[in-house]
Amino acid sequence: MRYLTFALGKGRLAKTTLEMFEKIGITCEEMKDKDSRKLIFVNEELKLKFFLAKGPDVPTYVEYGAADIGIVGKDTILEEGRKMHEVLDLGFGKCKMCVCGPAEAKELLQHHELIRVATKYPNIAKDYFYNKKHQTVEIVKLNGSIELAPIVGLSEVIVDIVETGTTLKENGLTVLEEVCPLSARMVVNQVSMKMENERITKIINDLKGIL
Amino acid sequence: MENRLLHTPEGVRDIYNSECERKQVLQDRLFSVLKQYGYQAIETPTFEYFDVFSREVGTTASKELFKFFDREGNTLVMRPDFTPSIARSAAKYYHDEDMPIRFGYMGNTYINHHSLQGRLKETTQLGAELIGDDSVSADAEIVAMMIRCLKTAGLKEFQVSIGHIDFFKGLIEEAKLEEEVELELRELISNKNHFGVEELLAEHNIPEDVKTCLEKMPELFGSIDVLKEAKKIVCNEKSKASIERLEAIYEALKVYGVEDYITFDLGMVSKYKYYTGVIFKAYTYGVGEALITGGRYNSLLKHFGKDSAAIGCVLLVNQLMAALSRQKIGIPTEKNTVLLVCDGDNETEAVKHAEELRSKGEKVAVLRRNEKSLEECKEYADRNGFAKILHLDKNGCTEM
Repeated sequence: MRYLTFALGKGRLAKTTLEMFEKIGITCEEMKDKDSRKLIFVNEELKLKFFLAKGPDVPTYVEYGAADIGIVGKDTILEEGRKMHEVLDLGFGKCKMCVCGPAEAKELLQHHELIRVATKYPNIAKDYFYNKKHQTVEIVKLNGSIELAPIVGLSEVIVDIVETGTTLKENGLTVLEEVCPLSARMVVNQVSMKMENERITKIINDLKGIL
Repeated sequence: MENRLLHTPEGVRDIYNSECERKQVLQDRLFSVLKQYGYQAIETPTFEYFDVFSREVGTTASKELFKFFDREGNTLVMRPDFTPSIARSAAKYYHDEDMPIRFGYMGNTYINHHSLQGRLKETTQLGAELIGDDSVSADAEIVAMMIRCLKTAGLKEFQVSIGHIDFFKGLIEEAKLEEEVELELRELISNKNHFGVEELLAEHNIPEDVKTCLEKMPELFGSIDVLKEAKKIVCNEKSKASIERLEAIYEALKVYGVEDYITFDLGMVSKYKYYTGVIFKAYTYGVGEALITGGRYNSLLKHFGKDSAAIGCVLLVNQLMAALSRQKIGIPTEKNTVLLVCDGDNETEAVKHAEELRSKGEKVAVLRRNEKSLEECKEYADRNGFAKILHLDKNGCTEM
């Protein structure tokens, strides 16, 4: 039997995923050791391999078949636009992609004005403004603390993930428009889906059973 | 600092030494399979007018084409694939031929992928097109021939997945969806995004039985049993006919004895509009993408003015090389070139001797060793893949 390789998005995503996997009998003891410097964790019995990767890299590993299965947020899937099968909504990590800004910026979204949009997700932002709203905008790519941009005048609005809205509120910003709902997804390489159909389908069905 | 004289541009590379040898051997073997099936070699230009690869016929987005202008200002395109070119030539040179024509081709294609994706922009494709035959046997012949190609290359574990676009088209006609929704649905189904399909369909008013079928599509892949299952749930004539066609193809493939490699995938709804019937892809371990893609495109030739059925397929040679090396399957190359070493003063004799050997069919390279020692010559021969060394001196020719 060949190894099935899982790429998990680092952080909370991976932790919750492993808890879910444990419920369907997929365990990885090696991964629980917090001090381990290992990059790849193996379950020899079930012939499974796991590794942690930065979120946006998970679709890359899966597209090229370096990992058969990936667990990653819908935001990353949309942003990266890779060719792969998106087979399951895991139902956790729920949040929303939103256009946010000071309340008075709402006006700027009404008349197809050229405005500046700061975001960590240029592709999602572009698709939303160009193809859904038909508004030409200038996109500024930032790598974190996106909320800063409208406060210091770098952009009029931002496109970012909103979970509770606390950060926004504390900084005088609000949700102006919702782009799309997000959650954690399971993605599968297109070749693996065919070549390892039975094993992967079983995992999908087991996970569906506990959702 | 980057040295432009030494580096190749991003996305293209040199292939040399034993890799080149292996690639050529593989290509020859693959192409001889096409010849065995009676496919005639054809060469089309590396670049053509933009319109040949435009949106209606092309498989590659315009922004990913390498474009340039001729002296009259026409836009020219480096071919991203061969099929439109072959369709163009068939329409031009075989306009009145009403019996089947078979073409086989091999060459490089050019796609301007995004940077930093680890993808080559110049890749080698080998393919075949069977024009003017709309039969089940034609479908089976192409699939069986591709299986023989993969076997000839040395692959053992691979799978050819077959689908039919009419299964989906029939359902869409029944559901009466707008084009925009249809496109979204295609994307979701081909991504096997079951819950996405459910969500999208819930927003639209579709007959319940059609909805069940469409929702099931991402899961309709696997062995021949899938066809039976699909037959049970589908009602419209078009979709039913497509399943019957697939069953007939399966029977025809049994004649070739290749049914073990076949699986079915009704959810394979290619984004390209030009496919009109059967669609297939071949997969193996070690590469994340299909090795072979193909299908029937009965309306493409009409675009070039010849109304004719056609089926074709393409094998990605670079992907196949990668799969072979990852599966540790060697490509048997002949190592039989002779290195004829002479000392410098007897070069005339060496050349004469080499010519004699060559006329007997041997492969010979002559090396004047000058001040290099015989030991160094031996190392040189090892480095460069020579099979044996002959040393020519006053006493005649001796093998080292």
